[in-house]
Amino acid sequence: MRRLLLYLILGIGLVVFAYPFVWMGIATFTPEAEIPELTLLPSRWTLDHYRLVFERLPVWRGLLNSLVVALAVTASVLVFTSMAAYALAKLHWRGRETVFSIILFTMMVPFLLLLIPLYTLVVRLGWTDSLLGLIVPFMMNATGVLILRQSFLTIPRDLIDAARIDGCGELRILFTIVWPLSVPALVTVGLLTFIGSWNEVLWPIIVVREVQWMTLPQLVALFAVGGGAEGQLGPQLAAAFLLALPIVLAYLFFQRYFIQSFATGGLKG
Amino acid sequence: MGRGIAGIRLEQVWKIYDNGYVAVADVTFEAAEGEFLVLLGPSGCGKTTLLRLVAGLETVSRGTIRIGDQVVNDVPPRDRDIAMVFQNYALYPHMTVYENMAFGLKLRRVPKAEIDRRVRAAARVLELEHLLDRRPHQLSGGQRQRVAVGRAIVREPRVFLFDEPLSNLDARLRVEMRAELARLHRELGRTMLYVTHDQVEAMTLGQRIVVLNQGRVQQIGTPLDVYHRPANRFVAGFIGNPPMNFIDGRLERLNGLRFVGEGGHVQVPLAEAEWPNIQPGQRVTLGVRPEAVIPTTPERATVQGPVETVEVLGAVAHLYVRVGQTTVVAQVDAAQCPAPEQTAYLHFDSTRIHLFDAETGQALLRLA
Repeated sequence: MRRLLLYLILGIGLVVFAYPFVWMGIATFTPEAEIPELTLLPSRWTLDHYRLVFERLPVWRGLLNSLVVALAVTASVLVFTSMAAYALAKLHWRGRETVFSIILFTMMVPFLLLLIPLYTLVVRLGWTDSLLGLIVPFMMNATGVLILRQSFLTIPRDLIDAARIDGCGELRILFTIVWPLSVPALVTVGLLTFIGSWNEVLWPIIVVREVQWMTLPQLVALFAVGGGAEGQLGPQLAAAFLLALPIVLAYLFFQRYFIQSFATGGLKG
Repeated sequence: MGRGIAGIRLEQVWKIYDNGYVAVADVTFEAAEGEFLVLLGPSGCGKTTLLRLVAGLETVSRGTIRIGDQVVNDVPPRDRDIAMVFQNYALYPHMTVYENMAFGLKLRRVPKAEIDRRVRAAARVLELEHLLDRRPHQLSGGQRQRVAVGRAIVREPRVFLFDEPLSNLDARLRVEMRAELARLHRELGRTMLYVTHDQVEAMTLGQRIVVLNQGRVQQIGTPLDVYHRPANRFVAGFIGNPPMNFIDGRLERLNGLRFVGEGGHVQVPLAEAEWPNIQPGQRVTLGVRPEAVIPTTPERATVQGPVETVEVLGAVAHLYVRVGQTTVVAQVDAAQCPAPEQTAYLHFDSTRIHLFDAETGQALLRLA
């Protein structure tokens, strides 16, 4: 009986969370006229919305741009934040705590505050309308340093010392000893960074004006807001669905590590 | 590698941390080529810091460390040609036993065939052959310990460093591994520097022992030296189990020179000729090991008092006897030991007593 109740509650939760997404997925295949009825069973299935989206938007180019940017940002964040985290967790040097506080402090600064200085910088460097302008400002982030530092702190000192005696330099210790022991934390940082980069709309809109360098979210946003969809709900939803798909797939693939890291990292998401 | 054996020499080595804590103070000692030297002391005495200094995992504040003829103060650990076995084994959890042992050799670009030969030879010696494909978490404590030793052996270093390698093992395994380490030392003939707080390990493994306390060397000597001729009260109390009995008192001249302590409850006559540096009135601490406290008749007793506790250990028993305000421990034949609350009559074997200066704790010189 109690079990039944539990399943009931979980079931309601599932519906509440999943329904909008499922509806959105189905709506992209529903004729425009039926979409406002919030039905899950359209009278007929259609690909018209996708046809329109692919006609109006350089979807593949946008997808490629987004992938290149998100992968480059993620890779560099993993490399650079783990180097910083290693230095903060496992090396002893004067001013270590101060540097760590400063890094933590940067987390408190809202991105909007940095927008104008960053933009000025990117203009000066001539990186507007290029992927560099989208990648370089995000190659490092404080959250990653924090999460990885916490994870690296749990690795015993003796293990690092054993590697030093075995003949490793610090970089080799980081990548051959510390990395394999920190997979969950690395996956977490990687996913957070990837998703963050993938979903970023504001910054690309400011830095990129040529369609060929636009990322997918930027294209979709401009499409939905900018009138490209001619006010139709279907194509807007179809574009949004395309946008969400890679993230959902990535999450399904990595969710095991993701949850593990939040469960063991002493960090509640 | 394989350049054979090298001794270790520390000269006036200090380690002072940034916060001003002095971990190692003015330490000088030498481990001869091929010697098994034990650093012994209570926790916090600086012995592990000393080992880490020799390994290059910490930097020396003052003084010099030599391995062979080379001053290694500024040489990174990987270039010191040493291997270290850690207290918690420090095996790489994501590598197999084989990979753990091969890792250091791979980094040194040793040819694959040679790596394989050395790893398998070490595995045979340590009876790890059937475990080479396992990962550390699939092994028992004793097996992990063997792998850690194996990882050190395959490197064929000039010097082995051991940091309390047996302290995480259970008692039976510890005895086994102790014998194994002694055998390895005989077979390899390399210099070994071994840190422990366990005096039994120190006595059984060490050719010589460096006793440390509060970052300073207290005494350096063979196991029997430090046992029978402790340099000060700390060494006397630290080595031996149950520990040496200490009684505070002074020297007085009544029918010849004698030690009087515990408000007159303890009186021990001293042969003046044997003790060149003592004089009447001097305040001293008398030390006598439990095995030099011998049950005797009431007439010949040095001390007497009620038995508080008896610990029978099989052939021998430990007798805790109340004398004045203190308790004297005697190691006696279990078959002839008195029951609790009976009066025990004890005699201190005068050839086996020690006197320490009450102020400095230094042992007073004894001839013969």
